[in-house]
Amino acid sequence: MSKKASATAAPKGARTLNDRKKMYNILEPYIWIAPSVILMAIFIIVPIFYVFRMAFSEVTRAGRIRGFNGIENFASVLKGNVFSGVLWNTLVWTILVVGLSTLLGFILALLLNNKFKGRKIARAIVVFPWATTLVIQASVWKFIIDTDYGALNTLLKTLGIIETNVNWTPTPEAWFAWEIACGIFVTIPFVCFTVLSGLQSIDASYYEASTVDGANYWQKLFNITLPLVKSSLTVATVLNIIYVFNSFPIIWTMTKGDPANKTDTLVTYLYKLAFYNGKQGEAAAVSVIGFCILLVCASVYMVSTLKKGDE
Amino acid sequence: MKKIIAMLLVLVMVLSLVACGNKADEKTTVTMIAAQYGDKTAEWWAGFEKKFEEANADIDLVVDVVSWNDIYTVVNTRIANNEQPDLLNIDGFADYHADGLLKPVSEWVSDETYAKFYDSFIAESIVDGTVWAIPDLASARALYVNTDILAAAGVEVPTTWAELEKACEAIKAYDPEIYPWGVDMTTDEGQAAFAYYTWNNGGGFVDKDGNWALNSAENVEAIEFIIDMVNKGYTNNDPANQTRYTLQDLFAAGKIAMMIAPTQIESICAEAGNGVNFKAVLIPANEGKANATMGVMDRIMCFENEQTDAEMAAITKVVDAFYDDQPYAEWVVMENFIPATSTGGEICIQLQPDLESWINLVAGAQFYPAAKAEWMDVKQGTINVLQQALLGEDVQTLLNDLQAQIAG
Repeated sequence: MSKKASATAAPKGARTLNDRKKMYNILEPYIWIAPSVILMAIFIIVPIFYVFRMAFSEVTRAGRIRGFNGIENFASVLKGNVFSGVLWNTLVWTILVVGLSTLLGFILALLLNNKFKGRKIARAIVVFPWATTLVIQASVWKFIIDTDYGALNTLLKTLGIIETNVNWTPTPEAWFAWEIACGIFVTIPFVCFTVLSGLQSIDASYYEASTVDGANYWQKLFNITLPLVKSSLTVATVLNIIYVFNSFPIIWTMTKGDPANKTDTLVTYLYKLAFYNGKQGEAAAVSVIGFCILLVCASVYMVSTLKKGDE
Repeated sequence: MKKIIAMLLVLVMVLSLVACGNKADEKTTVTMIAAQYGDKTAEWWAGFEKKFEEANADIDLVVDVVSWNDIYTVVNTRIANNEQPDLLNIDGFADYHADGLLKPVSEWVSDETYAKFYDSFIAESIVDGTVWAIPDLASARALYVNTDILAAAGVEVPTTWAELEKACEAIKAYDPEIYPWGVDMTTDEGQAAFAYYTWNNGGGFVDKDGNWALNSAENVEAIEFIIDMVNKGYTNNDPANQTRYTLQDLFAAGKIAMMIAPTQIESICAEAGNGVNFKAVLIPANEGKANATMGVMDRIMCFENEQTDAEMAAITKVVDAFYDDQPYAEWVVMENFIPATSTGGEICIQLQPDLESWINLVAGAQFYPAAKAEWMDVKQGTINVLQQALLGEDVQTLLNDLQAQIAG
């Protein structure tokens, strides 16, 4: 009897143990990633949820949420003619900064990938604009182009090129152009180093084989280099679109979006709405609109680029 | 053994927490957020906290000194989380009052302290007959002129707009590199520019009955006057982007001949050490209009936190200690402002005799209508009007639109 009992009990126990092991094997990866998921939920999903809640709520100037008010915040944001101008600025800002910094960063990466004396120093110098705080960068640019005590006017005067100070920012468009230039300058290093890492992973034998086949520089660039760094370039571009679209310090430090919102982007505009005008509900609505635009743009770009890559 | 040590450590921690709890229970806590006026503000409040707690062992005073850049964000975040302080030192109070977050002054300021304030200051914090905040300090704006530049250009200090224009013309002819007149129309303080010119033309934000009157004929004329000055090249070249702080530096460097500024410009000139000779005079007005001075005032207010009687008594003690004449006067002089109490003012004059003329000036000054709930919209609206007018838009239309938006 006891033998029978032990004979039936043993496989049952073994099965339970096996089941537990299987269950553990299934759960193990989730346990390992749980801390990351929890952190992401706390620091990403919860704030996004709060922004959405504010966007659809009546929020007092003192920051109290008074209840759901539908799409009223969105309606009052879209009602004025300011928003369309700000949205246009944001698109111009993002396209020009991302586009030109990608082009220039790519060229710079090609140059830095060549072997030459002082290459390490050159690479270190390229990192500087990226390693410096954006507020400092923007302040320095503002100082350089200042009409009265700017370094640019002082330099040109010393060289005898100009006699009196030149106003480098006579119009809002001029200010915006300088801000874009500053944005490009600080974004180039990121693109450059992402592409550089891609370039360094390309096997030299491809180039050797193509040289034997008689390919010229441009053929190598378009048929070997570009396809092989495409994935690095895609990642860099998507990240850049997100960073640049949401970039606040350069515009805020240089113009605060003035005059009359002519140099505002969505981020500086929503900051003004929230902390200068006390309209936190409307600011949250602008934030939600920006979030949706970014989500669509980044998704479309990533999906289309990666699809083409697969083909 | 390890288990025993671990148990003991846990026991010690629990006991220490309990002890903390008991200790805290014995004391009444008063929390405060104070605005940072200068480099020494935080240090001064730390000293005040220490002295106050030594004199009142049963009260735990916690003061957070926050910079002007962050204070609105910090306060709003605290309010959103229902963690507002007991006392707040900031400029405006209308938004907090509109949300029903404030306690009337009669509930937390002793009669003795209340009697010290200048009446004209208190009047600026009254809504529906109730005082909701008390002034902590004030400042006035005057016209600062670089006497050397004016003498070299052969012009007198202007008292009217016509004289001002002529003076600017002469200065421009004397040295085109010098800006005759400094104007700040930035997001930082554009509303002040609106006030300077409209008040000195008999206009302003509100009419005699206190109703919004943003598109009055006087306002239109005033804004057109200053925009014309900019267009003629008599001012700094980028009023929408050059803040008062930039202009003050240019004045201290002798690159601006005249600008409207607070008293702090005197210390900026002294620190710059460029030997700029200047004097403060009344802001010029349009012909036949009275000169108006602009006063700026900050306040202290008390939040409704369902405080107990003991907590309210503690808050009153903190306020009484802050407005104690001698330390209060020393604080005001240290921050380089104008006192809000008459008794403190007398001591301030002893400490710094040239403050007397400023105290007299601010007593008759006009203030922003910050007690009105729409003030924040008006403030931003007037800045937008100035900046759009700079870009060539019609002033009358802009002010009509603003008036319609604010007053309906």
